[in-house]
Amino acid sequence: MHWKTITRVALAASSLGWLTAAAQPDLNGVWGIYRAGRGGDPKLSAPAPGPLVLKPEYAKPYEARRAMEAEAARRGEQLANRSVQCLPYGMPTMMSVAIYPVEIVQTPKQITVIAEAFSEVRRIYLDRPQEKIEDVAPGYYGRSIGHWDGDSLAVDTVGIKTSVAGYRGMPHSEQMRISEQFKLVAPDVLHDQITIEDPVVLEKPFTYTLAYKRLPNYEMVEFVCDNNREYVDEKGVVRMKVQEK
Amino acid sequence: MSKAAFRNACAGLLLAVLSAWGHHSFSMFDMSKQVTLNGTVTDFQWTNPHSYIEIDVPDEKGAVKHWSIELGSPSILQQSGWRFSSLKKGDKVTLVINPLKNGQSGGFLGKATLPNGKVLGNGPGREP
Repeated sequence: MHWKTITRVALAASSLGWLTAAAQPDLNGVWGIYRAGRGGDPKLSAPAPGPLVLKPEYAKPYEARRAMEAEAARRGEQLANRSVQCLPYGMPTMMSVAIYPVEIVQTPKQITVIAEAFSEVRRIYLDRPQEKIEDVAPGYYGRSIGHWDGDSLAVDTVGIKTSVAGYRGMPHSEQMRISEQFKLVAPDVLHDQITIEDPVVLEKPFTYTLAYKRLPNYEMVEFVCDNNREYVDEKGVVRMKVQEK
Repeated sequence: MSKAAFRNACAGLLLAVLSAWGHHSFSMFDMSKQVTLNGTVTDFQWTNPHSYIEIDVPDEKGAVKHWSIELGSPSILQQSGWRFSSLKKGDKVTLVINPLKNGQSGGFLGKATLPNGKVLGNGPGREP
């Protein structure tokens, strides 16, 4: 084939997005939590999280709350939290809820992540710039903008409500910025390295990694919270309603 | 196994089980106590955030007591053999449960023996 023909074909393919798409890893599909202990390779499991260092004025109430929860657990009680009310987890917690998988739908201009627990959806736009934090309406998922950086997908998220708890219930301000690096560390193992920056609440950025394995035949299960029998009593403790026959 | 090692193993198991569920802890149930219920299913609710078996349990004098038994979510249950059609109204079943601490007639499923003899647990990490 003449080189001019090759160039023309390449240009045509490029304008259709084929070449771009072919050069990028395929993240499409359903991903479950990767556990090294269950026949997995320890080298592919998530590295230990970095230290979470809150500024003293935030560390004190955070630790007091954790102590109250531990004390309640010793009494055999659970204190109320937002998930007991069937509220969605939001970012970044939705990326890893118990053993529920997430589904990734990848297109040239947008990557959509659907979490099975609570059917949470986040959209990562690849074709536009991020806005200033103060211009994004605070919500559960914020505004996510991504770009391919070699073989990894870099995602920037801002605009998370302060009522949406962070990693292990950590507090955050409206200045929180979440940076993610999605990378295939093996053909069927995906890492999402998450770095949380918050100049108001954190002394320094906090990084942790989630590891996923591809679940090729898994069909996502719907999750609509229409039978929530948990309620919070006057002492703030979680109870279950029993049916009176 | 030493006592400390046993305690650590138990704590690890509890953590694994809790992390498999996520929605709430089991603190409202007395996990150290087991009750066996032989009765008739009045409803099987394949729902989120939890599934429930509603069951009428007759005592030796013939008086019927109603129980509400909590299970995992459909997603979690189907990973351990359950289906939405595993139980239906009128089925005779045997359930082993951890009762509510507050004395109400509710509990958390340990294992269920279905009418066809199949024994199912309560999701990964809570096999029968």
